[in-house]
This record gives sequence, structure tokens and C-alpha cells, in this order.
Amino acid sequence: MRRAVILLVVFALVELLRPLGSAGYGSQALLTFGFLILAAYTVGEIAAALRGPAIVGYMVAGVVFGPAALATVSPEALTRLAPVSGLAVALIAFLAGAELRWEELRDRGIALLKVMSAELLLGFVALAGTLYAGRGFVPFMRSLPAPQAIAVAVLVASIAIVHSPAVTMALLTETRARGPVARTTLGVVLLTDVVVVLLFSGTLSLARTLAPGAEGSGVSIGTLSWEILGALLVGVILGGAIAVYLRFVNEELLLFAVLVAFLGSEVARLAHVEAVLTLVTTGFVAENLSHRSRGEALRHAMERSAAPVFVVFFALSGATIDVAAVVTLLPILVPLALVRGAAIWAGTRAGARWARLPREVSGNLWLGLVSQAGVAIGLASVVAEAFPTFGAELRTLLLALIALNQLVGPILFRRALVRSGEAPARPGLPSAVPAPSPPR
Amino acid sequence: MTSGLILVAVVAAGYIAARIAVGALARRYLIVSGAEYLVLGVLLGPRVAGLISASVLDSFGPLITLAIGWMGAVIGSEFHLKRMLRLRGELYQVAFLEAILVVGIVGGALFLLFTRVLGVLPADAVAPATILGAIAVTTSSSGIALAARRLARDRTARTPLLHQLQVAGGMDAAVGILTFGTVLCLVHLPPPGDIRPPTPTEWAVIGGAIGVLGGIVYHLFLGGERDPDRLFISLAGAITLASGTAAYARLSPLVPTMLIGAILANTARNRHEIVQVLHRVQRPLYLVLLIFAGAAWRVPGGAWGLPLVAFVLLRLFAKPAAARVATRLSGMSRVIGGNWGIALVGQGSLAIAIALNYRIFDDSDLSNVVFTAALVSVLATDLLSARVVRAVVRRHHRRRLPLAAAGAGAGPPER
Repeated sequence: MRRAVILLVVFALVELLRPLGSAGYGSQALLTFGFLILAAYTVGEIAAALRGPAIVGYMVAGVVFGPAALATVSPEALTRLAPVSGLAVALIAFLAGAELRWEELRDRGIALLKVMSAELLLGFVALAGTLYAGRGFVPFMRSLPAPQAIAVAVLVASIAIVHSPAVTMALLTETRARGPVARTTLGVVLLTDVVVVLLFSGTLSLARTLAPGAEGSGVSIGTLSWEILGALLVGVILGGAIAVYLRFVNEELLLFAVLVAFLGSEVARLAHVEAVLTLVTTGFVAENLSHRSRGEALRHAMERSAAPVFVVFFALSGATIDVAAVVTLLPILVPLALVRGAAIWAGTRAGARWARLPREVSGNLWLGLVSQAGVAIGLASVVAEAFPTFGAELRTLLLALIALNQLVGPILFRRALVRSGEAPARPGLPSAVPAPSPPR
Repeated sequence: MTSGLILVAVVAAGYIAARIAVGALARRYLIVSGAEYLVLGVLLGPRVAGLISASVLDSFGPLITLAIGWMGAVIGSEFHLKRMLRLRGELYQVAFLEAILVVGIVGGALFLLFTRVLGVLPADAVAPATILGAIAVTTSSSGIALAARRLARDRTARTPLLHQLQVAGGMDAAVGILTFGTVLCLVHLPPPGDIRPPTPTEWAVIGGAIGVLGGIVYHLFLGGERDPDRLFISLAGAITLASGTAAYARLSPLVPTMLIGAILANTARNRHEIVQVLHRVQRPLYLVLLIFAGAAWRVPGGAWGLPLVAFVLLRLFAKPAAARVATRLSGMSRVIGGNWGIALVGQGSLAIAIALNYRIFDDSDLSNVVFTAALVSVLATDLLSARVVRAVVRRHHRRRLPLAAAGAGAGPPER
């Protein structure tokens, strides 16, 4: 509460000073960045005090101070701070990869694949079917002929099934949960991220064939293969280089951590490979090739440098939420979100049973898969560009759905971690299930 | 090449080059690392290789401002009153007099040079001349710290002179920053819109208020937080906001962040944790600052050679002379000797921060002369600053030994 009052004082002071200044040399972006860190951190603390995930607080701060409400964060500042989001995604992906152990993948990889395939298949079919069946309730789909409606339905489904590595990693960092539910969720989320790139490219090609007027051409197998295999290749090279650095230099890890994240995302962009997969692979290779203590030191340095970046990333995500669009589209959003949730629940249950996972994991896993964030937003933008006739409306629908899942997902995931005893019910308390020591 | 990749390439290359080429030399020969990043920046900048273009420099503007602000907070955090009060008051008196005299000598002489020799209008010459005075007063704190660490191995570190140098380093930084901040208030441009432009005094109050209110507010905000990660987030937010607010108001971020650092260091229960977090982030930002400062350099137009040479020579004269006069006026000659001012000739990152900050607000030829002078002075003096400090302290120690043996030594510097 004290911090909230202080934040209001800071807000008043910033507003008081606004007429006296000018936005040269990125000073406004810096001012916004600083204010957003403090605001999001404060609201995150309030959320944590209310036994909710801090990242929901960060996002709420983004909504409150973003263009949709108080407009302390202007659209221009959002554009200027876009690199921060890029850096956050890169750090998150690296950290996610570094969490995975080779031994764990070897032992549980098949189980993770089974859960993922059951959940994805059921989710995709259910969402595409629901949207096609309920197309009369979606304004821009009412007038579309059947083939185009199918194209839209499969596209929406292929994006709606995406999970959020960012939310998963942020919550694991926040709660320090490392038990079976946490690790299985992370594994499924990361695997899904790879498969979704393939699936989305396939559905985009199909949609382009079904819907005339689409811009660009279908994605070739070669391009797709390069995007995945190239990411693995680049990730292995970068990860190997990091392991060498840790072996022979092992200094200035904070600076090095930020450089790795920048370098990974830039190289991925220039090489036209999937950025998240590149960084996940980099983190995985670096962590598994390095001596345990050195790998942990780098991971810790990354977590530290990522802390304020995470805060701003989720606050910026909140600031981009179009509240008006979410409210307008609620009649179709709620059924879609419910169908998605039900499909994830049924899919993970079936997959977990198939993989013979413990009951405690199968009962809680689905709660960790509801969140959506960065990757889904990126794919929604690709769709908007590919279909000029209805792309903008489709993007609004997808962003509204993502926003809803973005706000609800972390609450559910935290609930799963608390319920399984892997995270404490209140911050500061010990969890019932301690983090296992990594197999080495 | 994209700006992100450039930053990565630059910092990585710079770091590796510095570590391999200079790191070993620095450890062996007591060389202060830093100036090599400036050279690297110049080589990669638009004037030489062109890898860092003007647009890249502009896109990293917020990061540079943050680096300047962070440096202010680190300097401010050194002013821990409880620790400062353990030392004799005369040390502060000497340091303050020395700092003021240097600003006066260098600033005054350069004002005369600008107006009488180069024909610059007095109104236009006041700001660059005084800022050069502010830059001249700053001392390489890393040089003193490095020498102190090395001298701590033997009894030499216990001389009052080393305490005097440490006090003078801090005082020089404070006087330099406050002088610079005051000048920016004096030459402040009117804000956009129809509001009445604040007077220089009002600008100074606004700058101070950002720092003082910020310090108080963040002290309450941080509370007794000891978790390093949460502390890092709060501090990053506080310093970023203060730097951004000051830069937005076209004031120097150094003044408010220095005040914030000082307030937090003196009022927070978690002082040690705060100082640790500040220092942990300082080095990466410092590297970026130096590289981009080097890249921002351009050859000044007009007769720039004369003020440049004059600045370097004046400073080399003013520092020892001011120290000698200040020591004599304070009656401290028997304790610390009269030649210690030579140990203050090393210049470091703060000089670059002030000069770069000035260039951000004023892109004129004169501001470029100021910037170039700071660059040249740092390149000329920073590398060997620790060696100079060590030599001065050792020589003083050797001279004191016979006095101490005869029972004529002064008392310890601590109270």
C-alpha cells in the first residue's frame, strides 16, 4: 500500500513536469521506461500480496498507464521501447532452454511428446470447429464464403493453440518452482513452440490457397526446414561458443548475458531462422555443455539482468491490450476461451494418461498451458499482413483472445503450482515440494 | 548492419580486446582500463570505420543517458556521512578549496582565451569555459582506487595523503557535477508551448527537487528490501526514471541521480546491498558509455587546436598548483605535503560523462571543442593515473618516515 501511494506521488510529479520538457534524444522513452518499471513492480507487489502472480500485476499496470487508460505510456514510447520486448523474449527463451537437462529430455521426451500431440490435436480441431460453427457471431466472418471461413478458422486455431514460454518462465522464476508440474509444463510449452511454427506455416499456406486475395505466396518446405533446422544449427553454434567462453573466460557475466540475448536474436533475424527456438537451443547447449557451477552462474546473471526487463515486457504487453476491442468481442471471446480451456484440459488428460504421468501432474498440467503472449501476437501480425481484406479484424479478434488468456493464464498456472505444492501459497513461504537437484 | 548487432559486436569486441590486450598489462603495470574503449569507439564511429552510424548513436540515446545517470548515482552513494565524519575536517577543506580553485583557474583562463583570442562573444563563451572548468576538476577515481588497493599491501596505504586523495576524488566529482548542472540551468532553452519559461534558479530548484524528492521517495519505496533481484528492479526503475525526467527537462541526469545515490546511501538500512547493486551494473554501462562517447566524436571546426592544448596544459598546471595553495591555506602542509596535486591529474569516466552530456544538449562547435578536450585529456592521463598516485604516495611516505622516527609526524587522519 505504501508503495502504491508513493507511485501516485511519482505519477503526479512526472505529470507536473511534463509541460516543461521536450522529448529529445529518447528522453521520453527513458522516462516512460523508468516509470513503467516502478509502476509495474508496485502493482505486481499488490498482486502478489493478493496471492496472485506478479506478472498479472505488471500487465494490469500496463493497461492502466497505457494508451487505453491514463496514457502515461504513449504509443510513440511503446514503439521506442519495442527493443526491450525483443530483449525480454530472447532472455526468456535462453533461460527456458537452460532449464532443460539432456538427461531429463532423454528420460521424459517421449512422454512430453505424447502429451503435446494429444493436447495440440484436440485443441486445434475443437477451436477450428467452434469458430467455423459459430461464424455467424463473428462480424467479419458472416459474409465469408465457406472456403474462406475454413481458412480463417484454421488460422485462428493454429494461433490459439500457442502457449507462452514467457509467462511460464516468468512464473517459474517468480515462484522458483522446479517440481514435476513445473518441469512438465515447461517441456510441453517449449515443444509446442517448435511444432506450432510448422503447423502455422502449413495452415497459412492452406489459407492462402482457400482465400483469394491473400498477399505473398505459400511457405515452401525448404524455407520451413531452414527456419527450424537453421535455428537448431545456429543455437548449437552459439551455445557451444558460450560454453567455451564460460570455460576459458567466465567473467563479466551480467554484460555477457545481455550480449548473448541480443546476439542470438539478431543472428536469428538475419539468418531468417526461428528466434525463440534459436535461443532455447542456445540456452540448452550452453547449460548442458558447461560445468554445472559456471552454467548456473550464467543463468543466475541472466535472471538478474532479466528481472527489470521482465517487468517492462509484461507491462508493455498490458499496454498494447486494446480494452475496447476485448469488451466488444466478449460474446465470441468467452466461448472461444472456454472451448480452448476445455480442449487443453481434455487433451492434457488424455496425453498424460497415454504417457502414464502421475495423477498429480495430469490433474494440474492443463492450468499451466492456458497463457498466451509474444509468439501468438507475432503470428497474429503475420496473418493481418497476409490477408488485407479481413486481416485487421482477424488480428483484433486474436489479440483480444490472447489478452484474455494472458490475464487469466498466469493466475491458473500459479494455482496449479500452489495446488501441487511446488510453489508456496504466499510469497516468502517455503513450498511443499522442493526443487530437485539437477541430474549430472 | 542492424543497430542491435552493432552494439553486440562493438561491446563484445571491445571487451575481448580490452581483456586480452590491456587487461594483462593493466594488472602487471598498474594501468587503468577504460581509455582503450574510447579509442575503439572513435575507430568504429562515423568518422573512421562508420560501423556505428549517427542513427545508431541516436537510437542508443536513452542507454547513454541512463549510463550517465547511473554514474551519478554511484558517485552519490560514495558520500556516506557516517564514514566521512571519521576523517579530519581539514581534509575536506583542502579538497573543496582545491576543487574550487581548479574550476576558477581553468574556467577563467579559457573564458579569456575564447573571448580575447578566439573572438567568441562573452555570452557564448561562459558556458563552454565553465564546463571545461568543471571537467578539469574531475579526477580519475578508478586510478586512486586501484592505487589504494595496491598500496594496501604495504604500510604505505596508511598515510594521510591517501585519505586526502580519496576525499579529493569525491569532492572533485561533486564540484564538477554541480558546476556543470548549474551551467545547464543558466543556458537552459525555454520549454515548448505557451508557459512562462522558468528562470535559471527555478531550473536549479527543479533539478535539485528531482534528486531530493526522488531520494526521499525511493528511500520510502525501497524500504528495508534486501533481496538483490527486487532491489535491482526498484533501483533500475528509480535511476532510469530520474535520468529520464532530468533529460526530458533538459537538465543533467548527473545532479539528481547523485543526490538520490547520496540520500539512499545515508538513509537506507540496506545501504550495502544498494551500493553493491549500483556497482554491479556500473561497469557494463560504463563500457557502453565510453564506446559511444568515442563514436560520437567528430573533428571540431575552426581554430580548435589552441583551446585544446590550453585546456590540457592549464589543467596539468592548475591541479598541482591549486592543491598546493589549498594545503597551505588550510595549514596542512606538514601532514600531507605540498606536491600531492600531481596525483589528481588523471581523468576518467566522469569527464567523459559531463562532456558527452553537454554535447547531447548543445551540438555547436564550441561544445564539440569541449568534448574533444575531455577526450584528449582522458586519453592522455587516465591510463597511467594509478601509477602516478602510487608514486606520489610512496614518495610522500618515504619523506615522512624520518619525520615519524623523530617523533614529528602528524596524527592519524581518522578522528
